[in-house]
Amino acid sequence: MVDKLLFKLAGIKQIMVKLAGLTFLQALLIIGQALFLSATLTNLWLGKSLSSQVVNIVGFSLCFLFRQGIDLLNSKILDDYARKSAKDMRKKLLEKLFVLGPEVVQQQGTGNLVTLTLDGIFQVENYIKLLLSKMIGMLLIPVLILIVAFWMDLTSGIIMLLVYPLIVLFMIILGFAAKAKADQQFTTFQRLSNHFIDSLRGIDTLKYFGLSRRYSRSVYRSSENFRKSTMQTLRVAMLSTFALDFFTTLSIAVLAVFLGLRLIDQEMALFYALSILILAPEYFLPIRNFANDYHATLNGKNSFHAIAELIHSPAPKKEEVELTLWQNKDQFQLNDVSFAYDEQNKLAPLSFAASGYQKVGIIGMSGSGKTTLINLISGFFTPNSGTFKVQGHELADLNAAAWRKQVLYIPQTPYVFSDTLRNNIAFYTPDVSDEKIWQAIKVVGLEKLVAELPDGLETQIGSGKRALSGGQAQRIALARAFLDQKRKIMIFDEPTAHLDIETELELKEKMMPLMENKLVFFATHRLHWMHQMDHILVMDEGRLVEQGTYAELLAKNGYFCKLLKEMRGTKDAE
Amino acid sequence: MLNKLTFFKALQRDSWVKPFLRHYKKTLWLAIFLGILTFICASGLMFISGYLITKSATPPENILLVYVPIVLTRAFGIFRPLLHYLERLTSHNWVFKMTSEFRKKMYDSLEQDAVFFNNKYRLGDILGLLSEDVAHIQNLYLRTLFPFFTVCGLYVFISLGLGIISPLFALWMLVLYGLLVVALPLWSVLVNGARQEYEKKVKNSLYLDLTDNVLGVADWIFSERTGDYIKRHEENEAKLLDAQAKMRKFERKRDLVGQLIFLAIILSVLVWATNRFGGSQSEASNWIAAFVLCVFPMADAFMPLSNAAQETNVYLDSIERLNKLPQPKESQKISQVITEPLTLKISGVTFAYSDGHRDILQGINLTLTPKEKLAILGRSGSGKSTLASLIRGDLVPTKGQITLNGIDVTEFGDEIAKYIGVIHQTPYLFNTTIVNNVRLGNEAASDQEVWDVLKRVGLEKLIKKLPQGLETMVDEAGLRFSGGERHRLALARILLKDAPIIILDEPTVGLDPITERALVKTFMEVLQDKTLIWITHHLQGVDQMDKIIFIEDGEIVLQGSPAKLSQNKRYQKLKQIDEGY
Repeated sequence: MVDKLLFKLAGIKQIMVKLAGLTFLQALLIIGQALFLSATLTNLWLGKSLSSQVVNIVGFSLCFLFRQGIDLLNSKILDDYARKSAKDMRKKLLEKLFVLGPEVVQQQGTGNLVTLTLDGIFQVENYIKLLLSKMIGMLLIPVLILIVAFWMDLTSGIIMLLVYPLIVLFMIILGFAAKAKADQQFTTFQRLSNHFIDSLRGIDTLKYFGLSRRYSRSVYRSSENFRKSTMQTLRVAMLSTFALDFFTTLSIAVLAVFLGLRLIDQEMALFYALSILILAPEYFLPIRNFANDYHATLNGKNSFHAIAELIHSPAPKKEEVELTLWQNKDQFQLNDVSFAYDEQNKLAPLSFAASGYQKVGIIGMSGSGKTTLINLISGFFTPNSGTFKVQGHELADLNAAAWRKQVLYIPQTPYVFSDTLRNNIAFYTPDVSDEKIWQAIKVVGLEKLVAELPDGLETQIGSGKRALSGGQAQRIALARAFLDQKRKIMIFDEPTAHLDIETELELKEKMMPLMENKLVFFATHRLHWMHQMDHILVMDEGRLVEQGTYAELLAKNGYFCKLLKEMRGTKDAE
Repeated sequence: MLNKLTFFKALQRDSWVKPFLRHYKKTLWLAIFLGILTFICASGLMFISGYLITKSATPPENILLVYVPIVLTRAFGIFRPLLHYLERLTSHNWVFKMTSEFRKKMYDSLEQDAVFFNNKYRLGDILGLLSEDVAHIQNLYLRTLFPFFTVCGLYVFISLGLGIISPLFALWMLVLYGLLVVALPLWSVLVNGARQEYEKKVKNSLYLDLTDNVLGVADWIFSERTGDYIKRHEENEAKLLDAQAKMRKFERKRDLVGQLIFLAIILSVLVWATNRFGGSQSEASNWIAAFVLCVFPMADAFMPLSNAAQETNVYLDSIERLNKLPQPKESQKISQVITEPLTLKISGVTFAYSDGHRDILQGINLTLTPKEKLAILGRSGSGKSTLASLIRGDLVPTKGQITLNGIDVTEFGDEIAKYIGVIHQTPYLFNTTIVNNVRLGNEAASDQEVWDVLKRVGLEKLIKKLPQGLETMVDEAGLRFSGGERHRLALARILLKDAPIIILDEPTVGLDPITERALVKTFMEVLQDKTLIWITHHLQGVDQMDKIIFIEDGEIVLQGSPAKLSQNKRYQKLKQIDEGY
């Protein structure tokens, strides 16, 4: 219940002291309010006039007002504090995300990370607010009321004291029962709730089979099943609120009857009896508030822990190394580099060397390990063993600022930001002149697109705006590469896999000149690119099976030739 | 002033929230009635306790004189939690029942445009939004509408009850409680409504912006500009936090005003009760404490209303979005029946989207005789896929006509599935067993028939190896069908359907050449007896077709048999590249 992580927040101790002080004051006002009201009612009952009770009534009103005033102050302090903490946390989280990079995005999913950063932190904000105020309220107010109750009437005090642990006990027991029940149903639960999404995702397939109209009934039926199983769970889950309600109201009822009987026996005065009756609901109020918000805080707690874990996850150690601008004489080497993450990302130890402005082709079928190798070279993955050697420096991985500064990375679908065309093209070089941009547009063949756009360079493109085709996105990536002449290392990961052949050809014509005077790593399963490569790495099932120039590989008549044959469906190789 | 309350405006032309209130009326009334009773019991408990204690203090000569109050105290004490529990169950049950109908309506609405669902809406977005909308509408009922109806009922009950005892005082209470029921929520919506609107907008753009940039994180890192982004994010975030702080400030103030009104109610009751019952210690003066104490539990009912009213702004988008969905139409049942062999004729077809400027397709003429095999080549965006939609009758040509044995394809309605089957780029596998997925083709197919088609598409061995065989869930951990295998499963489905004409809409995009080759080979083998329309972006395997057409900018620029085209320079060049020369 008490979350240790919470106490690690900056400034939390001061806030808690402040809140505790205010809550203590509030408890006194609650008691004052009850006593003044009780005195008023007792005197009025005795037949005294209203005017004689002005002092008591004013006392009651003032206590009531100040109590609400403190409430306001309390929540203001908490609001401000929670907002500030949330803001700090969001900043830390973002900074971390942008350090960890694509690897963590891939692992956790974009949607999940965005939700965590925005909604998750709003939940945490709420969690901090609720937990602090409700917890302090629950710890202080009942205790003070109980002291007053004991002072007024021992037996009433004992009743109140005994009921409290009973409530907590039953809530815990029923809470566990509900949880077990919910766990039990979780799988059916999920399947049913996914059914609706599933049928929407496949709605076109259903239509193609002429089944979509009939499927409507199935949607209804499964939703009804969902309702039935949810209701079964809710029946148990709501019992814990019921138990809380039941014990609090019943104990007020019991107290009332009990006080009545003591009054009949003339064992106590009306003033005390009324005070205790008025205080009883206040005694239970904090725990009821706490229980009401308990579920809301659960989400907050989970998000809080998930966020803290991300923030404190170790950032990959950045290699500190000085590299000079890549030149034709420079050397690049992989020595026995291996990697294992899961079935898809696995590499047996491999070595190769490249130098200067060589073009290195990486060829292989799906799942052969091309992308894993590319991720190692671009510095996103850290190898399990082996080393890199760049310009004579030995490095454990390529997650080094000096390396990245020189790299142009072009994936299968280059990301187009939701921004203007201009900003997208000049992403790596924000200060570039319009003249240069127009030049880049010509070089990569984007003139036709610009002519079609209503506002030319200033047109908003990207998701939700004007979507671009795969070929156009590739051209934007190439334009970025053209503008940033300081980057001499190009890494391509399947840049044309999903394009139609004519677009691929056109792009190839634009791409080849851009690869001049650069060190290029080019991963693809399209064989025709290999003619233009100086050195070819042939990958199969996570292993580097062959390497050499095109001619060397043909001469070997090994796996590369087999690939060629299989592709053409002919037995005779070139 | 009501015009400012966009929520009411949205409700006026709403067809997604209001109609459901008419469903299951009994349960709905029961839930509201139970809600009212719950608060009456809570109030009644304090009322009768106050009476019991003051009466006991008289003190009565005999305990039997307070017997009725004692029983009532206990009854209220037990009934309040019980009624509350039942009320919650009833209202949740009602909302879930409504949700079932709601989902069905949503599905029916989207079904009309099913084929274009994936293009029209960005899938992730719309699914997220739709399930969020369902949750929002549920909350609207549970957290705003039900409590509001309940409090209104309670309000009427208090006014009537006091009206019997003292009409003038009842009128005064009508005013004070009215402030809590009407004025305060209205004030909240008016003041915070605009802020909430703004908050929502900023939050939304923050969402889009963050998603956009998390997706592009690699570029931020490589360009070493992450600092720029974080700064930009913080500036936008500050706007949001500022709006939220203002909202919270207002809420705190408003709650204080609410409490002040409540204090006025307590004091009014105190004064009224003393005037009415006080003056001397008597049987009557027992009622003073009863009336004063019973006011306190009312805070639980009336105070949350303002926040609930304010929340309606959050649901507004959902209501508006839902109302923009097309209304489900009744299906028209005129379908034509034709028998094989089928001849498909495309004559002079031109197509443009109603909002588009240029024609997607222009004057296309084609005839496909039974069992003829046609390949359609062209760049993405050249109109290939549009042609497929036109052939299935999902789109209607602006000019020209497409007929099957002389009957316009649009006249077949859903029955077209009998004659034309489609495998598209990303065949969808439903989250159910393999056999259920295959049986989509023919629900009456026997296990033997299912195995037969699986054998033909080359999946028999793979599935026989699975411990649960045909009953394996397609997406269960450990078993992920690869791209090629998914297409094979989709092919099995189509074979079971046994339609005479099959459209393959770029089924091999993104596959590596060897997988592609093997898949194309299977397609050709098993679809030998069918009329085949194969839309493709590679030339792999096209020489096995009878006819090839190239579409460019909506027109057929090149056509002929593979033998004839192999004389063509352009065709030769593309083919060479595709084969890796």
